[in-house]
Amino acid sequence: MFHNSSQRKYWIFASEDELEHMRYKANQKFRNKILESGKAGLSESMFLERHEEDVLFRHYERRLIDFCSAFKPAMPKSVVGTAIMYLRRFYLNNSIMEYHPRIIMLTCAYLSCKVDEFNVSSTQFVGNLLQETPAGQERVLEQILEYELLLIQQLNFHLVVHNPYRPMEGLLIDLKTRYPTLDNPESLRKNADDFLTQTAMTDAGLLFPPSQIALTAVLNSSSRAGLNMESYLTECLGLREDKETLSKMYDSMRRMKTLLKKYEIPKPEEVNVYKQRLERIHAEFASSNNKRKRGYEEDGHVAKEPRMAEEEWTDEDLI
Amino acid sequence: MEQYSILGRIGEGAHGIVFKAKHIETGETVALKKVALRRLEDGIPNQALREIKALQEIEDNQHVVKLKDVFPHGTGFVLVFDFMLSDLSEVIRNSQRPLTPAQVKGYMMMLLKGVAFLHHNNIMHRDLKPANLLISSSGHLKIADFGLARLFSEQGERLYSHQVATRWYRAPELLYGARKYDEGVDLWAVGCIFGELLNSSPLFPGENDIEQLCCVLRLLGTPTQESWPEMLELPDYNKITFKENPAVPLEDIVPDTCPQAIHLLQKFLVYPSNQRCSAGQALLHPYFFSSPLPAHHSELPIPQRGGRPPRQRLQAPPTDFSVDLPLHNSVVHPALLRGHASCL
Repeated sequence: MFHNSSQRKYWIFASEDELEHMRYKANQKFRNKILESGKAGLSESMFLERHEEDVLFRHYERRLIDFCSAFKPAMPKSVVGTAIMYLRRFYLNNSIMEYHPRIIMLTCAYLSCKVDEFNVSSTQFVGNLLQETPAGQERVLEQILEYELLLIQQLNFHLVVHNPYRPMEGLLIDLKTRYPTLDNPESLRKNADDFLTQTAMTDAGLLFPPSQIALTAVLNSSSRAGLNMESYLTECLGLREDKETLSKMYDSMRRMKTLLKKYEIPKPEEVNVYKQRLERIHAEFASSNNKRKRGYEEDGHVAKEPRMAEEEWTDEDLI
Repeated sequence: MEQYSILGRIGEGAHGIVFKAKHIETGETVALKKVALRRLEDGIPNQALREIKALQEIEDNQHVVKLKDVFPHGTGFVLVFDFMLSDLSEVIRNSQRPLTPAQVKGYMMMLLKGVAFLHHNNIMHRDLKPANLLISSSGHLKIADFGLARLFSEQGERLYSHQVATRWYRAPELLYGARKYDEGVDLWAVGCIFGELLNSSPLFPGENDIEQLCCVLRLLGTPTQESWPEMLELPDYNKITFKENPAVPLEDIVPDTCPQAIHLLQKFLVYPSNQRCSAGQALLHPYFFSSPLPAHHSELPIPQRGGRPPRQRLQAPPTDFSVDLPLHNSVVHPALLRGHASCL
């Protein structure tokens, strides 16, 4: 239930400003770390600014969605939704300059498949990277497995994501059973679905409970069809007397619509410029991160001999 | 990890070693389950993910083990649980004489409360068996090992694996290869555990999957189209046929058992899953309201791990009694009892 979920407790934030502040801090943290390392020839201009990070983030998020929609066997919506949410949660506290989104996004999708019990084997998973050779796929898989632990840590082990898809089904059922004013609730589905697909690419999921997002999707779809469903809120949901909740609800809906309106598809020319800088940053600085990870060689190459894990987990801990 | 000092090794779990440890700050004894990422092919094991998923999202319940913390350690991570002295399989194995009817009732009540709570939270455990029912130092039974647990009532028509549950406790639809099933599989297991408590030995100790089905059919009788219509649609239904035989009366399977216990047992051990009695309903069964009443948790034996005979308790054990919980949590609404007690 959403009510006692980790999502409600830890991953719903008060405002857009709070989110931006967190991302700003992550960006600063990375800069400071590099600048403090005292490497020669460093300058602030090498780093990506927040808005530049944002463009790249949106670019990789779209690539994640493309990957998921082309995935075979077809990936359920909730798996995709969870993957996107993981990606957004991960980059709240981490800069894309620190961890490359190309691999983090795949790790998000991989973890989301497992958590949501969409059972595909790891080979099957990377088999969906059609542009890669089998050897390339294997390399990617090694990287995914290498980042999985980092991801789950950064998610604070909060794995369950409540997506708005189920609440939307619930609302449609409710409309069919309790709201005869509306002739054909199913006709709202198409636009409501599109609305949810769009909102997944915004911060809505970090600001509002899934049921409110779903309700906004349905109401938005009805108003686009020229229908007025206000009486559903006031009568069926019992908000007539509760002016405060009603006005809060309208406010949330407005904020969601603003988020959608503000969304810009990243421009290819911008993406290319920033990407080059991102690659340079990773080539120069990020290798220091890789070493931190468990017993791996550089270049994300996995040491084939058994990991140090073996000894580390045995009775040695019995002090 | 620095927060804990390791006291010893409890055993090997499905995905790593389990240690007994002390939380230095609070002095609390805990069980640390380490999840090592040893196998390269699939990364973090599904069992560990399920365990975190199921236990993190539910409120505390007295009869479900509590996941106190998860933290990264070395090349994997550690799950922190309350430390439990024993489990129900040890209780059954080590009790010197059969459990008294009141003790069986006490265990069943705690088990059903835990199962009712899980099902209310849309969680199927899928691996209920005595070894997964832990016993605390105060005698409380707590459901543990959520490595196969799964959230149900999901959207769409997703298929589940039938390779769940330990064989002796596996529901007949699973034995026939069902890929769509429900929380009824847990209720079947509850029935098996009930029978095992009554008899001090397992009801259906099959040696392999085919023999398991034989065991069940031998006692409950071969199912017919009338007694189990859904059977015809099960994947493996046509693969095996068994010689027809009638059901053995439950009175003969669990001898010397009061009629109410048999009546309740009967409600779990039925072929169609949707006819099995829900945990919530079972708790209202007259069995629990007739003499002898369920034993209090302080009257239940607590064997030590490792099979030593149950220790004699000289003083009252610490209780989990909480004065903060609202009273209505532990009181049954009279309306629910109306069908069972004529005085209401």
